Amino acid sequence: MKKEMEKFQEDIQLGKIAYFPGCSLNSTAMDFNVSLKNLLKFLNVEFEEIDDWNCCGTTPAHNVSEELSIILSARNLLLAKKMDYENILCPCVSCYCRLLIASKVINSNIEPENKMQESKRNLVLEELKNMGFDINQKLDFRVYSIVQFLLLIKEKIRNKYIEVKDEINNSREIMLLKSLKPVCYYGCVLLRPGYVTKFDNIENPTSMENVLKEVGIKSLNFSFKTECCGAILSLTNKNIVIELSEKILNAAQDSGANCIIVCCPLCQQNLDLRQSQINKYYKSNYKIPVFYISQILGLALGLSFKNTMIDKLFVKPDIRI
Amino acid sequence: MRKINNNLSDKIRDEIINFIEPDIYYCYQCGRCTAGCPLANVYEYQPNQIIRLVQANEINSIFDSNSIYLCLSCEICSSRCPQGIDIAAIMSYLRIKSWENRSFKEKLIAEFYKAFLKIIGIFGRSYEPGLILNLNLVSGKFFNDMDLALNILRKRKIKLFPEFVKDRKKLSRVVKKYL
Repeated sequence: MKKEMEKFQEDIQLGKIAYFPGCSLNSTAMDFNVSLKNLLKFLNVEFEEIDDWNCCGTTPAHNVSEELSIILSARNLLLAKKMDYENILCPCVSCYCRLLIASKVINSNIEPENKMQESKRNLVLEELKNMGFDINQKLDFRVYSIVQFLLLIKEKIRNKYIEVKDEINNSREIMLLKSLKPVCYYGCVLLRPGYVTKFDNIENPTSMENVLKEVGIKSLNFSFKTECCGAILSLTNKNIVIELSEKILNAAQDSGANCIIVCCPLCQQNLDLRQSQINKYYKSNYKIPVFYISQILGLALGLSFKNTMIDKLFVKPDIRI
Repeated sequence: MRKINNNLSDKIRDEIINFIEPDIYYCYQCGRCTAGCPLANVYEYQPNQIIRLVQANEINSIFDSNSIYLCLSCEICSSRCPQGIDIAAIMSYLRIKSWENRSFKEKLIAEFYKAFLKIIGIFGRSYEPGLILNLNLVSGKFFNDMDLALNILRKRKIKLFPEFVKDRKKLSRVVKKYL
């Protein structure tokens, strides 16, 4: 693990990380995409988008066939390899999960545990070969989620914050941040299964809080950090999502928060976009903005409302922007 | 629902026992999986009951209840199991088997998967407007989420035109195999 970290630090110094946006960030989570890209640029982290990437297949693919899900995700990994990258940053939590699992299947140092896994691996590699990829080369992919990545570049964030802190003290962006009492919401898949993701406690994670601490933002205790928001059932069984998401909003309010910070496009959508539906369904009056962690970090480091796309939030934060 | 025969039922149970670690007979029905499950109140069978049903080789009963189809794979069950049983993986395995056998009970979810994968097959990437239109047509609820659609359009928080993956021919061929 320590060795892995050192290797990663080296690669970051060299600017060797591939960026996999995924379909959500390309469309309905464009605020996440833009704010994150601007943040990374501001921090002088070099990254390159994977050329001609495809959808990771997300829930539909892995609920229909494990092989299909792995093939779709592995194609992106191998495209990154073609561009000479083996570190991949997946801001979208679902993409992260799928690409991580795919990397655990096709990486060269992985030994299949049983016959079923072995035949699955062979089938996946065969299909990838048919797609024209070289599968005999050594593959050693490392897939990073946004939270894990921010944690690894924590020092960069801290240094930048110390550098810019005094200049931006009176901006409207900082005034907004000062009015916030946030809770961090991780969502369900980011940390599970724990033996695959490994980077934080699965019941009470603290990595988002630790990153935010670097820019002087204190977050409140929250008991619903890893509860599920209902995810993609929003398209087929809407009421389930409304009920589950309401519980999260309710818990946030109970802990004294006036906003939620998230790192998953689907969580953001269910809590922010569907907040109006939740209010209608429960005749409630929630008005809790739901920010992406990249937006908050950007604001704290002096990026403007425009560069962090705060105007794309459906529940507006309480400031005229 | 299409019932599966005894041979297939045996095969599914045996594969779960042989290939998903650890052995499902380690389960002592403590119910911790169910206590944490976000969907326990809508499930017809609870996660711990699903494990018991696999042990009893009642695969048909599992296929005929809503649990495995609604499961969100949030994996809270697996991560909390004191015996380390990977309940989410078992649910997922059963769901795939049900798909292969065309006995998906939640029809709308099946339609969603089909529509989504078809879109991936055509474009290589997801295309939300097409997906939602398709789903609303299938479900007959044309104006479902129309309030949100208007909000999204007003904010221009969506790509109205699909993006194509350049090298999508080979990708389409693979996706079609599984539809």
